[in-house]
Amino acid sequence: MNKETTSTIEWSDVLRRYGTVIGALLIFVIFSLTTDSFCTSRNLLMLLRQMSMLTIIAFGFTFVMAAGGFDMSIGNSAGLVSVIFAIVLMNTSNFWLSLLVALGVGLIVGLINAVLVAYIGLPDFIGTFAVGSIAYGVKMLVTKGNPVFFTSPPAVFTFIGQGYVGPIPFPVILMLIFLVITVFVLNRTKLGRRIYAIGGNTTASLYAGIKVKWYRMITFLLSGLSVSIAAVIMTSRLNSGQPLAGENFLLDVIAVVFLSTTMFGEGEPTARGSFVGALIISMLNNGLTMLNVPYYFQYITKGLVVISAVMLAVVLGQKLRVKF
Amino acid sequence: MPLDDLNNKREVLCTNCLGKEFNGVWVLNDININLKKGEVHSIVGENGAGKSTCIKILSGVHSPSEGEIIFNGEKVTFNNVKDSEKSGIRTVHQEINLIPFFNVLENIFLGTEVEKKFIGINVLDREKMAEKARKVLKRLGVKIDLFEYIYKLDVSLQRIIQISKVLVHNPEVIIFDEPTTALAESERKRLLEIILDLKKQDLGIIFVSHNLEEVMQISDRITVFRDGGNMGTILKKDATIEKVVSKMIGHKSYSDFKRESLTGSGKNIFEVKNLSTNKLKNINFKVNEGEVIGIAGVMGAGKTEIAKAIFGLDSVESGEFYINSKEYTPNPSKSVDEGIALVPEERQEQGLVLNMDVKKNITLSYLEQWSRASVINLEQEKGIAKKMINHLKIKTTGPSQTVKFLSGGNQQKVVVGRWLTGNFSLGIFDEPTKGIDVKAKEDIYHQIDELAKKGKGILFMSSYLPELMIIADKIIVLRDGKIVDEFNPKNNTEKEIMIAMLGGDQK
Repeated sequence: MNKETTSTIEWSDVLRRYGTVIGALLIFVIFSLTTDSFCTSRNLLMLLRQMSMLTIIAFGFTFVMAAGGFDMSIGNSAGLVSVIFAIVLMNTSNFWLSLLVALGVGLIVGLINAVLVAYIGLPDFIGTFAVGSIAYGVKMLVTKGNPVFFTSPPAVFTFIGQGYVGPIPFPVILMLIFLVITVFVLNRTKLGRRIYAIGGNTTASLYAGIKVKWYRMITFLLSGLSVSIAAVIMTSRLNSGQPLAGENFLLDVIAVVFLSTTMFGEGEPTARGSFVGALIISMLNNGLTMLNVPYYFQYITKGLVVISAVMLAVVLGQKLRVKF
Repeated sequence: MPLDDLNNKREVLCTNCLGKEFNGVWVLNDININLKKGEVHSIVGENGAGKSTCIKILSGVHSPSEGEIIFNGEKVTFNNVKDSEKSGIRTVHQEINLIPFFNVLENIFLGTEVEKKFIGINVLDREKMAEKARKVLKRLGVKIDLFEYIYKLDVSLQRIIQISKVLVHNPEVIIFDEPTTALAESERKRLLEIILDLKKQDLGIIFVSHNLEEVMQISDRITVFRDGGNMGTILKKDATIEKVVSKMIGHKSYSDFKRESLTGSGKNIFEVKNLSTNKLKNINFKVNEGEVIGIAGVMGAGKTEIAKAIFGLDSVESGEFYINSKEYTPNPSKSVDEGIALVPEERQEQGLVLNMDVKKNITLSYLEQWSRASVINLEQEKGIAKKMINHLKIKTTGPSQTVKFLSGGNQQKVVVGRWLTGNFSLGIFDEPTKGIDVKAKEDIYHQIDELAKKGKGILFMSSYLPELMIIADKIIVLRDGKIVDEFNPKNNTEKEIMIAMLGGDQK
């Protein structure tokens, strides 16, 4: 009798901790069985390449959300970085200068978010949403809504999004580097510890002498930085600056980070959780396309997956950390 | 009020051996009080004496573990607040729970809106509500525009709206819980007059206040609580502040703790000059090496505000701050760098990140010590956490246990342990023993003693005088944001200090 109760407790604990991971495996198995080409090394490498941008942005977002914040500007700022990067590259043909400008734009967007939200005190949702709206306007203003094409882009530019190192696509390597850095920073450094403390209890962090505003600002800068890098990869992949590209990132990244908070029973977003979350969303994008499911059903599916993951976590007694 | 007069009045509410137990601890024991119509019956006592528990039982928030409530001669059972309200007992709470952007009328009828049928649909009956509200305001003798927003009214008018909200239901008994908090002198007077007026309208009134002067002014009888028990009821004509206070103090000796450290070299650690904020007025004091300065005062006297101002959590209107003879501008992270440690009043809200583990909470403030190039040395971190767990006798499964699963006393020790890992000069302890068990309390006293022995300056805020008497070298008494007096616990008695806290010396 006694034994039985302990074993049920363990089961719900396993489900709470690894439910989403089990879900990811399930999705993998289902697509492998229902399609011929899903579980091939060629497709899996492509899947990893597709997910790299989403994952990199999600890592930036993970920092923001670990500190209890939210960043609604990512989708539009990705497009903004992309077109400004493309315009500078088109006019100067200097990749490194363009890269610097792209990173600068991302950081400026992050800085504006940080000033509005962390220092002036606007609610995260409203402040970053408005910044995203301004970013949308600016990129349309700059491009009149037209894509920016290149005549002869430098080789290094093409390599960033389309190159391979051995069999591995270069964006995948970038993503893995980001994964390692994010895991390390969040778990092993003062920065990561303080970010989690602020997200866990902002007041107590302040009372412990932590520079709350400063650290919150850093999270928004990291988010801006990760958006820039993803946008550069995207520009290279599309071989053009696309003002409307990147808008889907917002919804997908939110889904990823919510999935992340449900994972490993910690109730807060983690680097590995965001990685698995991005894998789930990307597998859905990839597998459902392969099954010829219309794109609108893909959205419905993604919505349902997020709802079930969060519901499972809440039902199993996990407190999710989401503050707006 | 003459005795006979009171005897002629009908009893409306009475309790019979009321007791309340939380988790095996009896916080209220054998309480017998009775209230008559047309009487103001005051309940006084220190923080934690059981006043609020008693009120919460009468208003149906808690149900008694023992004893019964008799209302109008009948035994009643309140399962919730609604039950108590239905029988005619209403409470005017200490916190003003009105909605700022609703108008007076909407607030008075919040949750009890009057409706009428309009083409078969229920709509609000504004005329009826306005009529009722006007009647009540007339009873209170105040004129307020019913359509004024609450946020535009001052605190005393907001109180009056709170009272109106209670009065529209025609209660027989009104409980006032610290109704004069945050009121200026003239507003206080006005409110007391209103309460006396209600008494004349034959209501039974239970009045709870920290301010003994106003208690003396308006009560017919005064009941004193101490340590969860009823210490006796005094008729107004027999009551003096002295008499009431001596019933309030004189606790069972609850701790054998004795300070070992002696006042240190006299080297100054901390000084504040002319500190004023919106709550504090012209605060000056010093803390020397090895000294424990107690700051006494009832709830809301401004103790926490002093802690917050020194640490840099509240904005300051004026004031100079010196730590180790060096002037500094308070700001939390800078204050920590300058050597100030703060154990805040609310350990769960302000002290701990509840879903982090013990070690992470312990190392939160002085993380640099276990980090090289911003990378935390997890082994060293675990080591220091283990050391603190042993040193403070924290009951936990280990450094990796999530702190929310610890008991209150052990949680408090984690907060204290956090500061012990660093080398601060001034330690501020704001109500550090609030809500923790006796054993944990003594552990905290010993820690403070040890810190003083090491030459640190300690600021100990408490509304519980007995603990200040045993721990402090000097007790500064705060009332309404001002320092009113200073005592030496060796030469002055608890009674003298208590009278200063409760406002006995001012007329």
